[in-house]
Amino acid sequence: MTKKQTLLESFVVLLIVSVMVLLGNHVGFNNNAVEALPGMGILLLLCVAGVATNMYVFKKIPSVLFVITYGVIVTVPAFPFCDVINAYVAKVNFLALTTPILAYAGIAIGKDLDAFKKSGWRIVIVSIFVMVSTYIASAAIAQGVLKFMGDI
Amino acid sequence: MNDAVKNVKLHLVVLVLVVVSELIGIITFKVGPGKLVLLPMLYAMFMGIFLGPKFLKVVKEKEMFQASTLVGLTLLLLMARYGTLVGPKFYEILKAGPALILQEFGNIATLFVGIPIAMYLGLKRESVGAAHSIAREPNVALIGDIYGLDSAEGRGVMGVYICGTVFGTIFFGLMASFLAAFEIFHPYALAMASGVGSASMMTAAVGSLSAAYPSMAEGIQAFGVASNTLSGIDGVYMSLIIALPMSNKLYSYLYKLKYKTSPEAYND
Repeated sequence: MTKKQTLLESFVVLLIVSVMVLLGNHVGFNNNAVEALPGMGILLLLCVAGVATNMYVFKKIPSVLFVITYGVIVTVPAFPFCDVINAYVAKVNFLALTTPILAYAGIAIGKDLDAFKKSGWRIVIVSIFVMVSTYIASAAIAQGVLKFMGDI
Repeated sequence: MNDAVKNVKLHLVVLVLVVVSELIGIITFKVGPGKLVLLPMLYAMFMGIFLGPKFLKVVKEKEMFQASTLVGLTLLLLMARYGTLVGPKFYEILKAGPALILQEFGNIATLFVGIPIAMYLGLKRESVGAAHSIAREPNVALIGDIYGLDSAEGRGVMGVYICGTVFGTIFFGLMASFLAAFEIFHPYALAMASGVGSASMMTAAVGSLSAAYPSMAEGIQAFGVASNTLSGIDGVYMSLIIALPMSNKLYSYLYKLKYKTSPEAYND
């Protein structure tokens, strides 16, 4: 999101993606699109609220942070309607939400392939080691701490 | 952005990718004691890449650029869902706080492995940019700020950033799935490690893990998201205060060892 967009444009994009998610959720996860509609609507509202907060209130803080925070707030056990909201959003499989994003990303990646070629094979090898070492070291620390605290 | 919204062709292409990917569904292979999980999002991404001008030519330059302006916004719906995954588990996550926070230090391991390898392969200052962190957006911004993105360090960080963007999702999905299959780490430890500051990498790893351990899926997703959010918050500070200075020290030490002379100054 480099350019400043209007709230309406953002809403339209989110609406288009919501429809795709409902369809994907229907064919891939057997969640009836009509039954998943309220949950999808809630997610859409959270996003719009997040984008609006970023646009009109805290311009320097990214929308992502607000969207997540609002999602946490409406489902935290202390929130009045949390059970109803949970039941509705549970009908939207979280994997179904990822497919359209990666489809757009896949199409977009095409333009980075040349830059990628230039960065060379050595960087590819380094990248693999960077990803593996980050993941394994973090998992090992988490494992150790969870064991130490008796959580697992 | 405005043009991208109105590009009906782009949205229809994505819709087809989504429906086809979901119809293929999750494919699992037995590997050792566990299973390897391939998710619809991976097919959608691959098909998306192959629609480009270099291959099938279904989408053109215009669509590729427009698609890239939309990715950030489409991510928000997933983030909203993530928020709703964290909410119900909020108190559990607070309880797991120490593990969540301490595992963040695992991200520093990359410099001890990555910098020697990069230098062995003959890279110089590129090594510092490439291997000081996992090179997601905040790290790219940081390196850009300190060295400039057209410097050697900038080339390094951009290289790893692009590799991560192209392969990261697939790689993290496979890595999580393999490690889960060999049962060395508890699924929750793997879930916490999945949060490296990239939503798509985390999603791929958490997706594979939750498919491998359906009974623990909710906890896995909540820990993954919490860890990723934490990385997003502390990642840039961690790099600036700890990882980057250590990377520079290790670099000059290894440089003397390899080339028998002191390295040139930072911004030569």
